[in-house]
Amino acid sequence: MRLGLVIDLDTCVGCHACATACKEWNASSPVSGPLSDYEPFGAEPSGVWFNRVRHYELGEYPASKTINFPISCMHCEDADCVTVCPTGASYKRDDGIVLVDQDKCMGCNLCAWACPYGARELDTASGTMKKCTLCVDRINDELLPPEERQPACVLACPTHARFFGDFDDPASEVSRLTAERGGFGLMPELGYAPVNQYLPPREPKTVIGANDVKALLERGLASLASPVIRR
Amino acid sequence: MKPSLSIIFFTVSSGAGLGLLALLALGDLLDHALPSDALMQGIAVALALVAAGLASSVLHLAKPANAWRAFSRFRTSWLSREAVFAACLFPVALAYGALAWTAEDGVLRALAALGVALLAWAVLVSTAMIYASLKPIRQWYSAWTPVNYLLLGHWSGAVLLLGLARLHSAHERSFGWLAGGLGVAALIAKIGQWRAITAGARDAPTLERAIGVPEYPNEYANKHANKYANQGARPPGMTVARARLFDVGHSHGTFLTDEFGFVLARRNAVALRIAALSAGFAVPAAWIASGAANAPLAWLAAIVCLAGLLAERWLFFAEAQHTVRLYHGAPRT
Repeated sequence: MRLGLVIDLDTCVGCHACATACKEWNASSPVSGPLSDYEPFGAEPSGVWFNRVRHYELGEYPASKTINFPISCMHCEDADCVTVCPTGASYKRDDGIVLVDQDKCMGCNLCAWACPYGARELDTASGTMKKCTLCVDRINDELLPPEERQPACVLACPTHARFFGDFDDPASEVSRLTAERGGFGLMPELGYAPVNQYLPPREPKTVIGANDVKALLERGLASLASPVIRR
Repeated sequence: MKPSLSIIFFTVSSGAGLGLLALLALGDLLDHALPSDALMQGIAVALALVAAGLASSVLHLAKPANAWRAFSRFRTSWLSREAVFAACLFPVALAYGALAWTAEDGVLRALAALGVALLAWAVLVSTAMIYASLKPIRQWYSAWTPVNYLLLGHWSGAVLLLGLARLHSAHERSFGWLAGGLGVAALIAKIGQWRAITAGARDAPTLERAIGVPEYPNEYANKHANKYANQGARPPGMTVARARLFDVGHSHGTFLTDEFGFVLARRNAVALRIAALSAGFAVPAAWIASGAANAPLAWLAAIVCLAGLLAERWLFFAEAQHTVRLYHGAPRT
């Protein structure tokens, strides 16, 4: 088993519903305890999140595009955050999920330093490291209807840009999507073998391309200028 | 990286103590270089420095009640190895001190001296490898890191040792040359590391690489990124283009910005490097060359040297740039 997420950068609209749903579900998680907020009603609210959405712009206007980028734990196959942990609090389950045993963590931050993605955050209220659990308390809960045995972020996504499944199963939706859409992991050169895969934006169906715009503009300018020049 | 004072003090103080311990033990093993009382004083100073460092390192922990568990992952974690070796070092060093005190001169004392030196090196290397094994921080992920920790620890230890030797008038010249040699080696290692960090900026990970944007094929395209992007030569999916952070997604600081967001002003970096070099190397070197044998000057030289190394270690953290910074909009690390 190699459980993980597929995140579709083409359909993600950057609404932060996944991050908010994650926070809501895991605030009372039996796996990692409360996700502390610091000064939630103060001037500078902050707190622990498992999943953060950032927004990037590629290229320069007008030939630019916005990429909304949710980042949470990649549940790496070769997870340094687990091997650097001196207490054994960080561990990887047989199904591939990387977890932190809250009873063992001493809050040394070394695993957060070893994670290139910023997927781990220290909860200063509990003094322990917190991270995405892939909602182990949902996906294995047989009291939930089968269709709800998925991470909260996947269920919450309004554009269906998130998929959960087993990458070791070639027939799974996540494996199929990754193969079909050219899914990629982040910073593979570091050698962590991140399991979560991102689907790149689809090639746009060209209604009117950048070169067409340029040609039209040139033609338009020429036609505007032509009477002046001819005269 | 946020320069964490508890760790900065820990690595400098323990480094000097461990370097001093290793040199004391080796000197004793080879030639009973110091009289017993000087050796005892040296071991006491060294263990005090190591203990102060370790105590300071506990301050870094958010939940020190679980610190005892740090002995449990010796097989994979350098931090665990550091803890285990440090815990082994104390009884061996105390036993060695007792043997030196009773003036026992035999296999047992030699074995204890060897054990102290080996364990001191093991702790130093483990500490360095904690940083040198972190792939997301290119400034640390390098052989220069353990070389620096070893040499800087021994250099500051040698300054302390020379003070001891001068106060007891024992082999001052030999220890002077030893300190001088280690100082030159440490200086070369430090400057080598700084140069490697600067040179590594060429291949440093970029924001584009971090979010999976294909690399520019060449420098030309790099300069004309937008033009290139419009020419249709795009790999499927991500456009080949410059990326920039549009919105970071959080309204105020987070653990990540607090821990990894620290940026050192270039002007301060130069000032700190000058401070590290002058206090860490030039002042102790002048004292070594002067041959002054009084206690206040020896203490002063050692303290100034350690203060210089504190500045050096502060820089070691302040100049390290984690890949998380890319996701927060840094163009490269």
